[in-house]
Amino acid sequence: MEAISHAGTVLGVLAKDGVVLAAEKKVTGKLLDLSSAKEGGYGGSGEKIYLLNTNVIGGVAGLTADANSLVNYARTAAQRHLLMYNEDIPVELLAQRLCDMKQGYTQFGGLRPFGVSLLYAGYDPHYHFQLYHSDPSGNYSGWKATCIGANNGTAQSLLKQEYKDDIVVKDAIGLVLRTMSKTMDSTTLTSEKLEFAVLTVDPVTKKPNAKIYRPSEIDALLASEGLAKKDEDTEMKAA
Amino acid sequence: MNSLVERYSTTSPTALLRKAQRLADEEEEFSDAAWGSTAGFGNIVKGSPSFMVPNAPDPTAFLRLHTDDHADPTCRIKIQHGTTTLAFRFQGGVIVAVDSRATAGSYIASGTVKKVIEINPYLLGTMAGGAADCQYWETYLGMHCRLHELRNRERISVSAASKYLSNLVYSYKGMGLSMGTMICGWDKTGPAVFYVDSDGTRLKGDLFSVGSGSTFAYGVLDQGYRWDLTDEEAQELGRRSIYAAGHRDAFSGNTCNLYHVKEDGWKFIGNYDIAKLHNEGYGYDIRVEGRSSANPPEVATAA
Amino acid sequence: METSFALTGKGYLIMAADTTAARSIVKMKVDEDKIKTLSPHLLMAYSGEPGKYQFCFTDRDTIQFAEFVERNIRLYQIRNLYALRPAAAASWIRRSLAESLRSRRPYSVNLLLGGYDTATHDPHLYWIDYLGTLTEVPFAAHGYGSYFALSLLDRYHDPEAPLEEGLATLKRCIDEVSKRLVVSPSNYKIKVVDKDGVREVEL
Repeated sequence: MEAISHAGTVLGVLAKDGVVLAAEKKVTGKLLDLSSAKEGGYGGSGEKIYLLNTNVIGGVAGLTADANSLVNYARTAAQRHLLMYNEDIPVELLAQRLCDMKQGYTQFGGLRPFGVSLLYAGYDPHYHFQLYHSDPSGNYSGWKATCIGANNGTAQSLLKQEYKDDIVVKDAIGLVLRTMSKTMDSTTLTSEKLEFAVLTVDPVTKKPNAKIYRPSEIDALLASEGLAKKDEDTEMKAA
Repeated sequence: MNSLVERYSTTSPTALLRKAQRLADEEEEFSDAAWGSTAGFGNIVKGSPSFMVPNAPDPTAFLRLHTDDHADPTCRIKIQHGTTTLAFRFQGGVIVAVDSRATAGSYIASGTVKKVIEINPYLLGTMAGGAADCQYWETYLGMHCRLHELRNRERISVSAASKYLSNLVYSYKGMGLSMGTMICGWDKTGPAVFYVDSDGTRLKGDLFSVGSGSTFAYGVLDQGYRWDLTDEEAQELGRRSIYAAGHRDAFSGNTCNLYHVKEDGWKFIGNYDIAKLHNEGYGYDIRVEGRSSANPPEVATAA
Repeated sequence: METSFALTGKGYLIMAADTTAARSIVKMKVDEDKIKTLSPHLLMAYSGEPGKYQFCFTDRDTIQFAEFVERNIRLYQIRNLYALRPAAAASWIRRSLAESLRSRRPYSVNLLLGGYDTATHDPHLYWIDYLGTLTEVPFAAHGYGSYFALSLLDRYHDPEAPLEEGLATLKRCIDEVSKRLVVSPSNYKIKVVDKDGVREVEL
């Protein structure tokens, strides 16, 4: 729990037509090799935001090593569901699967619980877009907008003020970025400090489309939202 | 050396074959009269009339061993079992439709078999079961139909012709004949269809289908059949039914041969490629293309 | 002989199964319901594969498997508050059957699984045989009846037919089997599933 409150902030907002996820990166620096995030993989630098399944993006806060293990478990659980039912795992069920395991580690002596909180941004045909949060004890809950990690209290109250029930993805992206820039330690938002993902549904195929932004895409987004570099303060006043 | 030994051996397969051939040659000395025809002069064969029987101790066992997968999977000759044939009577005559596939086991031996045997200008026979049996005995039946005409100065009735065939195959019952046939034609009584098979069964009826694909043909045929079909409707029904069987039954297919028997004798209507029929409208996917069972709730148009 | 049919139409699915439970040459029961309602929008018709130990009757094995499926689908619904979608249920059932096939005593049961997907608003029909073959089809049949009904359905089935028309097509199947099958079933139970759920209908 302690580790989580110090971890990089992860923020999620549920919109009418999608879910937006953003995370603050802690491990940064000029010498960090980010080539995989820039070119290979499915996007993202692999510190905070992971693709758990075709229809679910996960954001983690806490002990990174534990998180890796949980991400791996989640991916396996999703594939097991696919094997059994030939469909993408419903989002809540995936959250349940992880919580069942997390809870197990709180119950038996001698083992240390996972020091990780997760946000799950997902889509399934039953409940459409969903956003869940799970904590190390194995509790989970669904949210319209929530935040984990450092400064989560500040972020939550900001979200509470600004969230509207019929928000669309475009506005949700703005909301997430603005909230993010207020809660983060550093004053400027750059791709170096930010991970970002959006889950929508393809209007034609009706299949979920999970997009985890690459660094260059994040910079482009920040620029288009007018949040790049130093203009941040004036932007916030305008908003 | 081997060939020399074999020539004088009495137990080798070739020796047995030679023996059988010799016996068969001896049989040849009897005239065809032994086959049943007496050409109006009574039986001139010495002794009691007898059947021409294959030179094997047990013809049924012999046939099974040499033609049937179950007894001997390695056998080279396989009797053609997969077929669809149909014939039905209606206001405008008789429609006869058949497929054209010959299978030997799982192998398609031919796709251009003529399964309608033109016995004479007024009589058609269909072919299901052993191709050779049907071809031979129905041609033979044709010969006797002609003799009947010469003797009695009138064409043989469909009933009589089918009865003749039925009696003939019955006399060979248990010796491995395999036929399921429909004798169709037009006589004094009008259009007529008789089903005759190698068990000796002979049935008069309006509508028959024979062969491995018959159930599929019946499905379409029964549901579309009426006595007062027009000629075009009837031909379409026959063709559609053979297509159905060709599509669903692995042992039937390739093409459909269609005949129409009217008062003035039979007429060949045409040969239709089943794959072509499928692609040009009979196929389910083509027929229902673009149609969907989805029933989404009406979206409120005013928004 | 055991026979079951199912066909889809505009926003609905019809499933029919004969109601005879026979042992040897004796009809033990003539009003047995062989279509289970697995969830509010899901139906399953089950019939035994005539094999070594049985001949064309739904025996205990078959029912055992049907009940096993029924209880598991129900369990999923209790756990998750929503029922499995037809496609997911079909995959799960196929898998159960395929696992059973390689066990010491496999279930030999043929299934028709049909349902209405409330998420996509369309009917789905799955044909599953005792070997674990699964295929989605617009219409299907099991048993000897299939030999007569399939060609007929190729000819008459319409994915956009209204319910009355769908039932008329089903009647053609039943009539054809009654006409041509030597030991044709005397009675059928017919169920329909659409957006409002499952209901039983009479022809």
